[in-house]
Amino acid sequence: MKISRRQFYIAGFLFLLVMDTFSQVCFKIAATHAEPFVASTEWLLRVVMDPWVYGSIVGYIGAFLIWMTMLREIPVGPAFAASHLEVIGVMIISVPLFGEHLNLLQYFGAALIVVGVGCLAYSEPKETDGSKHA
Amino acid sequence: MNHLVIFTLWALNLLVDTAGQLAFKAAAIEEEEASLLAHWRHMLSRPWLWIGVGCFILEFVLWLAFLSVVPLSQGVLLGMMSIVLIMFGGKLWFNEHFTRLRVVGITLIVLGVALVGGAA
Repeated sequence: MKISRRQFYIAGFLFLLVMDTFSQVCFKIAATHAEPFVASTEWLLRVVMDPWVYGSIVGYIGAFLIWMTMLREIPVGPAFAASHLEVIGVMIISVPLFGEHLNLLQYFGAALIVVGVGCLAYSEPKETDGSKHA
Repeated sequence: MNHLVIFTLWALNLLVDTAGQLAFKAAAIEEEEASLLAHWRHMLSRPWLWIGVGCFILEFVLWLAFLSVVPLSQGVLLGMMSIVLIMFGGKLWFNEHFTRLRVVGITLIVLGVALVGGAA
């Protein structure tokens, strides 16, 4: 099957977003399981023993592999945006999964952050340069 | 959870994330060796890569601690502040340029983070 460059970009973006979101969700579940947080060895042990922590590591590795594959093909700017736009995935999934709700002002703030990341992504040099985000 | 704990964990996360990314950058731009193997051997023998790895591990624990005191969506949004600090670090230590668009992006992120955190 032949896929176009455009399809490759979109698929890469989406995979990266899903992987990063998955990682964050695992982090949150592990953190919740390990509650209450106190700076202690007991807390650290509870974290390390929680299987969800390893889910977040799997997500990290997956995201890393996708990131490195994408960097070979696309400019670092869009890739940079994709690697930070998991905020959107996280905001969406946190509603049904954790019952989280932002207030109106916070949604406005989130929108500013997303546009800000977009600006930074667009401002990156157009050539592929993997060293910048090593 | 009291605000001081949340703020401290947030600040520590930002600090360690920024330090780690800058250390990786410092490791990556060490003088280029003849071969890839030699380049990696050189990086492994110098402290930057290891400082970066250390920061990464520390951040892993700090991030879990932070997420146990804030909702996930807010935590991730507040964490975006590290992009701004990394950019300032890049300007300071690696002479990376602030174009107008970058200044706009940085300003929007700072405002956004202030709103998300301030309106909580």
